[in-house]
Amino acid sequence: MSTASALREQIASLVRKYHEEQFSPRTFNPETDLTHYAGRVFDAEELCNLVDASLDFFLTANRYAERFEADFADYLGVSDALLVNSGSSANLVALSSLTSPQLGERRLQPGDEVVTVAAGFPTTLAPILQNNLLPVFVDVNLADYTANPDQLREAIGPKTRAIMMAHTLGVPFDLDVVMDLAERHDLWVIEDNCDALGSRYRGRPTGTFGHLASMSFYPAHHITMGEGGCVVTNDDRLGRIARSFRDWGRDCYCAGGESNTCGTRFSQQFGTLPAGFDHKYVYSHVGYNLKVTDMQAAIGCAQLAKLDGFIAARRANFDRLSAALAPYADRLLLPKATAHSEPSWFGFAITVREGAGFGRADLVRFLEANRIETRSLFAGNLLRHPAFQGIRHRVVRDLRNTDVVMNDTFFVGVYPGLDAARLDHMIATFAKFMNRAWR
Amino acid sequence: MAVAQKLDCVVERVVAHGERVYTLSLRPKRRVPRFRAGQFLHLALDPYDPSGFWPESRVFSIASPPAERDRVRITYAVHGRFTKRMENDLVEGRQVWIKMPYGDFVIDDRSDVMLFAGGTGISAFTAFLEDLSAGAAQTVTLAYGARSKPLLIYRDVVERCARRLPSFQVAYFVEREGEGAPAAVFTGRVSVDAVWPRLQRPFDTSYYISGPPAMLKSIGDSLRARSISPEAIHIDAWE
Repeated sequence: MSTASALREQIASLVRKYHEEQFSPRTFNPETDLTHYAGRVFDAEELCNLVDASLDFFLTANRYAERFEADFADYLGVSDALLVNSGSSANLVALSSLTSPQLGERRLQPGDEVVTVAAGFPTTLAPILQNNLLPVFVDVNLADYTANPDQLREAIGPKTRAIMMAHTLGVPFDLDVVMDLAERHDLWVIEDNCDALGSRYRGRPTGTFGHLASMSFYPAHHITMGEGGCVVTNDDRLGRIARSFRDWGRDCYCAGGESNTCGTRFSQQFGTLPAGFDHKYVYSHVGYNLKVTDMQAAIGCAQLAKLDGFIAARRANFDRLSAALAPYADRLLLPKATAHSEPSWFGFAITVREGAGFGRADLVRFLEANRIETRSLFAGNLLRHPAFQGIRHRVVRDLRNTDVVMNDTFFVGVYPGLDAARLDHMIATFAKFMNRAWR
Repeated sequence: MAVAQKLDCVVERVVAHGERVYTLSLRPKRRVPRFRAGQFLHLALDPYDPSGFWPESRVFSIASPPAERDRVRITYAVHGRFTKRMENDLVEGRQVWIKMPYGDFVIDDRSDVMLFAGGTGISAFTAFLEDLSAGAAQTVTLAYGARSKPLLIYRDVVERCARRLPSFQVAYFVEREGEGAPAAVFTGRVSVDAVWPRLQRPFDTSYYISGPPAMLKSIGDSLRARSISPEAIHIDAWE
């Protein structure tokens, strides 16, 4: 073994010791400790991978990124998985890809309509606007918080070319309806799967139904790289286009540090460039640089190995909360899955029912005062935010439920870091609030 | 195109066809990524440390079919320094690194196709031919040439295809005369003239050419001279 290899092993061993020292689980104290809604869950493997990648000092995407992309594509059963630096970037790359001139007549053009929802996260909507497309908003169902299928059908007009929506908090939207509409109207479908990694619809993973899908690996999500995300597709052509948008818009698909993988670097003709112009610097799209580092991917590799366990833990935590909060269903609208779906829950969404005798603010304040983190269902109604007021858009009927989400809905965590003690505290706190003040 | 992966492989078998033409069967340590018939791989002879940069490599068509993901086959002829090293170094059990898949030389399965293959250029088509299903609606015509009859090294694949598929036809070309070439053989280099009368819809056909540079040029020129649009002509050219 070389000195460098021996040192690497020694460092890895020390990293394991450091992890044990620094990150060993501590006993939960409900009187002082926070009950987070989400957070990174890791062991020594993540730290070892991170340090290992940093010792390579390759810095840009390399062996770990390649491994993650290959393993993640296999996990979902798709041909392409492209790491990007966030789920939001994944949305941007996915939608921008559909504007590629390489798609000919099928490309999205300015003014084309994209059906979406306003009850969600802004960066599902933002790429639609950034690409000069027109969002068409449909209302959501309460309890599952996904798009209303009847309104989806109504939303389709002569200029509608795509549907781009999230599987909200892990709950798959009605993919039967969406894919049927896509088939009948020749629409593109982008699944924002950022909050739903591991969810299934009719037994098949979400993120594999649409033409493209996005994933997020932010710490609050099912697996994390710190900052990170992924675009997945089963379409070779879209995969290559997405790679181009991610990598500065270039036509060449060589990985960083590589050249001439196509074998035709100096013998092609593009645009009005001179024949044989260096393919590495030929740009076929107005793109971005949204790549990850190998250190991020290294963490992702260790996380991916834990994904099935994380999903199971999220489901178990969700089930525990569902059972514990069921007695309050007269005042709290509890979350439910859509038909044919098995969510990989992102959170436990609750809507305070009208006439409950208290408002969301009362309950949220009580939970927060007891150190239980809560979150709004993201933006509530995006159309009421300063950034999106005045945008060109179309609304199908009205967004009544979206406003309910904005006013009365919040969620608490189900992430794998919630152990029995934390769940007990959460359940006891709910009980205290529900049984004491508002009876 | 699936994300390219670098794979540690062992040379499992080396077949010498004569005249310095070889077929290598490589066994990767993990399954190769999904690829499409017509795509190619890079092969490196020098050691590769995955934490560093990829060493010098050359490109070779993936001759094995996409369904076969635990083996990879390539065929090469010795032409320069790198392939000479391959000839000298690659023995059974030797470790090599490959990265794959790459390339757009993917045959359109929706139209009639005419394939021109010269020498080891046939390896760009073998995966496609092995994948062709009996129910394929398209007509596939192959013009397959080599220096000598023994160098029609994928003749068995072609013959199987001909037996299996009524919509498949082949014309062989052998440069040297009097070698007892197979039926439907032409003496000389692969040419458009010889196969043109066999094409039912030449202006609704996609043309694919894989072989030595001189052949790529002559067949390409010949097709353009017959008013075949440049968009219908696909050339498997590497630097």
